[in-house]
Amino acid sequence: MNPPRKPRRFFWLEGVTRHEVERSLHDTSPTRLRQQGPRRVLVLLAALVMAALALSIFITHNKVGTYTEFGLMFTSLLLYFRLRKAVRHVSDAPNELLDERQIAMRDAGHTVAYRLLSVLCVVYVLLILLVGPEGRLHPHVRDGFWVPMAWSYMMCCASLPAMVLAWRMPSELQDEQD
Amino acid sequence: MLHRMSRSEEVPVYNRIAQARAARGLSRQGLAEAVGVHYQTIGYLERGEYSPSLSLALRIARVLGQDVQALFSVEPFATPDQETP
Repeated sequence: MNPPRKPRRFFWLEGVTRHEVERSLHDTSPTRLRQQGPRRVLVLLAALVMAALALSIFITHNKVGTYTEFGLMFTSLLLYFRLRKAVRHVSDAPNELLDERQIAMRDAGHTVAYRLLSVLCVVYVLLILLVGPEGRLHPHVRDGFWVPMAWSYMMCCASLPAMVLAWRMPSELQDEQD
Repeated sequence: MLHRMSRSEEVPVYNRIAQARAARGLSRQGLAEAVGVHYQTIGYLERGEYSPSLSLALRIARVLGQDVQALFSVEPFATPDQETP
């Protein structure tokens, strides 16, 4: 006998609940994010926000810099949740909530994201070398520059699988249930 | 590639799921629920954009009441015009 299903079960490793994944997978309401074009715009926007967040350390005016930083951090978080929704949570869902095609799609997305992340890791290391205490650009950055940089990198790690899927998934067809 | 997730790009798997499903009066959603996949996956299969695992192919064949060889082939299926002399 199967154990009783917990509809609100939270998958800690994936950061999703059973309910939100199932609702997202079976959502038939029309939204622009079912089309590839708007999804790609969302991906570009998320990439732009994360890059801006990493570069916001060069705003030397403390008040302006801090407000910009918090604004971008909040926006990147919103875009992360929007991206997950745009790909129906496939990028983060556990195997037991997906079928074999969705698992293949998720795993292919994760493979590409992992490769991109290794490139991004090099970029961030170079940036840290430039703006760190020994770096040439250190006089041009605010104190506590590591906070937006760390947040930006963390958001890249979290968002990249969903960004890759959102970019590559084809537009969904209407009335595919019939 | 995500838009064409065939298990083997060189050897496409052709199928007659759409015809068999229509003959049984099943919707994609109905077939999807019966075989335990998402309804979009049935669409991907019917369009030849995804090749199923053996397990899924066998489940689809069972639900549609056909032999798996009658539903799936590595050769294109003959069209009705070609079948009649």
